[in-house]
Amino acid sequence: MQPMPHRIQNYLIAAVFVVLIFLTIIFVTAILPATTFQPEATVQGAYVYTAQEAHGREVYLREGCVYCHSQFTRYQDREPSGEMVEAGDYVNQTPHLLGTERTGPDLSNIGGKYPDAWHWAHHMQPRAVKPGSVMPSFSYLSHKDMTDLIAYLQTLGRERELLARRGVKAEGASGHDAAWEKEPITWIEAPQEMRDQWARIAHNVDVNNSAVANSGRGIFMQNCAVCHGVTGRGNGPVSDAIAGKKPANFTRPMFRAYKDSMWFWRVKEGVPGTRMPRWERSLSEQQMAYLVAFLKTLPMDEDTPSSKIEVTNYSQLDNPELLKGNYDEIGQLDELHAEHAARYQGGGRH
Amino acid sequence: MQAALSSFWRAAFSDEPYSASRNFLICAIVYLILGMGFGLLAALLMSSPDIIHGIPQLAFGRLRPAHTNTILLGWLSMGYVSCFYYIVPVLAGRKGLWSERLGNLTLLLWNIAALGGVWGILSGYTEGREYAEINGPFDWLVLASLLLVGVNVYMTIFTGKEKKWYVSLWYFMGALFWFPIVYVIGNRAFVQFTGLNDAISGWFYGHNILGMWFTVGGVGILYYLLPRFSGNPLYSHTLSMVGFWTIGMFYAPTGTHHILQSPVPEWLKAIAVISSVFLLIPVLTVLTNFFMTLKGKWHLMADHIPMRFAMSAGLAYLLTCIQGPFQATRGINWYLHFSNWVVGHAHMALLATFTFIVFAASYYFVPKITGRKMYSRALAIWHFWLSFLGWIVMMLALTIAGLIQAAGWHFALPFDQWVIELQPYLFVRFLSGIMLIAGAILYALNMYKTIFSKAAEPLPESPTGIAYV
Repeated sequence: MQPMPHRIQNYLIAAVFVVLIFLTIIFVTAILPATTFQPEATVQGAYVYTAQEAHGREVYLREGCVYCHSQFTRYQDREPSGEMVEAGDYVNQTPHLLGTERTGPDLSNIGGKYPDAWHWAHHMQPRAVKPGSVMPSFSYLSHKDMTDLIAYLQTLGRERELLARRGVKAEGASGHDAAWEKEPITWIEAPQEMRDQWARIAHNVDVNNSAVANSGRGIFMQNCAVCHGVTGRGNGPVSDAIAGKKPANFTRPMFRAYKDSMWFWRVKEGVPGTRMPRWERSLSEQQMAYLVAFLKTLPMDEDTPSSKIEVTNYSQLDNPELLKGNYDEIGQLDELHAEHAARYQGGGRH
Repeated sequence: MQAALSSFWRAAFSDEPYSASRNFLICAIVYLILGMGFGLLAALLMSSPDIIHGIPQLAFGRLRPAHTNTILLGWLSMGYVSCFYYIVPVLAGRKGLWSERLGNLTLLLWNIAALGGVWGILSGYTEGREYAEINGPFDWLVLASLLLVGVNVYMTIFTGKEKKWYVSLWYFMGALFWFPIVYVIGNRAFVQFTGLNDAISGWFYGHNILGMWFTVGGVGILYYLLPRFSGNPLYSHTLSMVGFWTIGMFYAPTGTHHILQSPVPEWLKAIAVISSVFLLIPVLTVLTNFFMTLKGKWHLMADHIPMRFAMSAGLAYLLTCIQGPFQATRGINWYLHFSNWVVGHAHMALLATFTFIVFAASYYFVPKITGRKMYSRALAIWHFWLSFLGWIVMMLALTIAGLIQAAGWHFALPFDQWVIELQPYLFVRFLSGIMLIAGAILYALNMYKTIFSKAAEPLPESPTGIAYV
């Protein structure tokens, strides 16, 4: 056999050496983790999607939600986005949807935060429920795609939040517990009986109790009256100075349609694009429930918007005529909300 | 009609020297306009989300991957191959490629892959992995095209008369060896992992399409162009080799810095951050070599349009590679991650560095291939200023928007409040996109007029290429 020329030999040694090093680096950083990094599934990670939710996940992937929404919480996110994620939460998450840019909020714990009808309205026209959002409208999705997508969104972080709420350690996960599938984890998503029960037991609050409403009055006076006025007519001392949208006048008939859950959600989330803050950031759930109880006692039988700026007079609070309550719950507000959004979907910013 | 068709087929499957390079460039420019168009629409949708309504193919979530994939696989990769197909035969001492016919056939495959892949993304067939969205069957075509390009380039080098390989050839061989491997690991069509391991291999690809393909190829092209433009010999062959091997060593593990705060293993994050910082070694050696090669010739930039592009690319490469290690460190990443700052960084690398490199190279070699001067110097100057200023405006807008966004997360402002604050910057970014696409259209016009001109005007004698534009 003829020996190779010296020059080629030199190249060969260098080339083989470099190729080996390079392949080792690739192996260690891209292939090896797949064999050594096998976290045990947490309860959230062991969740098995139903056919509907799995299809919803495909819609999420197809419509590129991942380019603006991440699916992992970080220690530095002071914006409350829920419980911290763990490696075991992602065992069944293939393809991964971690995301790399956030133009919208993190979605790892979105499940159960909003009612389905809210999601529906939000996807039809995001600016109908979140003024200032730059999310595209997904009104082109078919009914099935939209339903499935929302079903998928409602699974995100649900198990994790549920565990945290119950104070259970996320260990010894043993597959998916069917009983939890039905159990809603936030106050908003719960059916009425459960909500009443939670209101009484979990938060020790019965929003229909007049003593509770009395407790809420103090919270209202300290936090809300400055804009909404002591009688809730939206004519508090600073209402005149607020640019843009004016504080709500709770005596308008539309507020008769507010269910407890809607009151609670409004107080909790605030009104984006206005000066109405998110009270969940400064009030506890219990305090917000007190506030809801008080709001339900405000007079809601007038349709005469007040043009006069109120001179705060705390003695008015003792006038029983002013605080005649209206406890009607017409209900169906979620549906009204969705219908409104669908109707005005082309309307741009509200 | 028949005559036109047959002349089209002759041109598309010709075996005359450099025909594959020319044909690749023509297609790449089409993808440039297309990809920038997608990007422009996406930018418009971000600043005024209701302007297009109810058309699934034109929703932001589909336009964005269409934009990245058209630019990455259509424009930049094809532009690179076009440059390789010109530079490699020249450096290897051959007239034309090992097989121009194979080159043109590769182009056909590549076009099917890129058009089909992008059409698939727009229609909702996506792999859903960032920068690797192109769907299964088209992944195979891309891989086949890459391997064919590799065969052609390697064979051209091996059969060339020149036995002392210039550094650019090393870079091209490296790029064409590494990229298929990266492509196979990174695409779910070939290698599938579950859960977080999917994210790890996904970001291995996401970062290394940049590191092992665009950086290695682009630096190789600049190593060819800068001595040509300046007329100076390469400053140091040793430095260029140090740069080459260290890119190979330090780029591969850096991908995990894209998911630094997610629950992936800490040791992997540590390796990623450390190698990201070590990338300063190849970057600084490469740039030292570039700038020292140009010693005494910087004034040429005033008249030499391709050199302006090349120098802007060098400048942007310096900035982007200082920024990169900086934002990959844990403390900085903690603050800046998830913001538009990173989008600005990506545009600095792919637009201002690698796209400008292809601009520079094509202004230099198209006159060489066609034997004609560029159609218009004025168009080229407009192209330069629109692109350069467009990039500066875009970079500033996105960086400022990113800082606002990061502050929004970290001072716990509700996101729907700071998104409103981003609006003016996103609109300015849209305007910068108009500048960029206007520049690209002028470039396309200039190239069209040059390549398809019938006029036979002898190319002026100009070793540095200064008289071509």
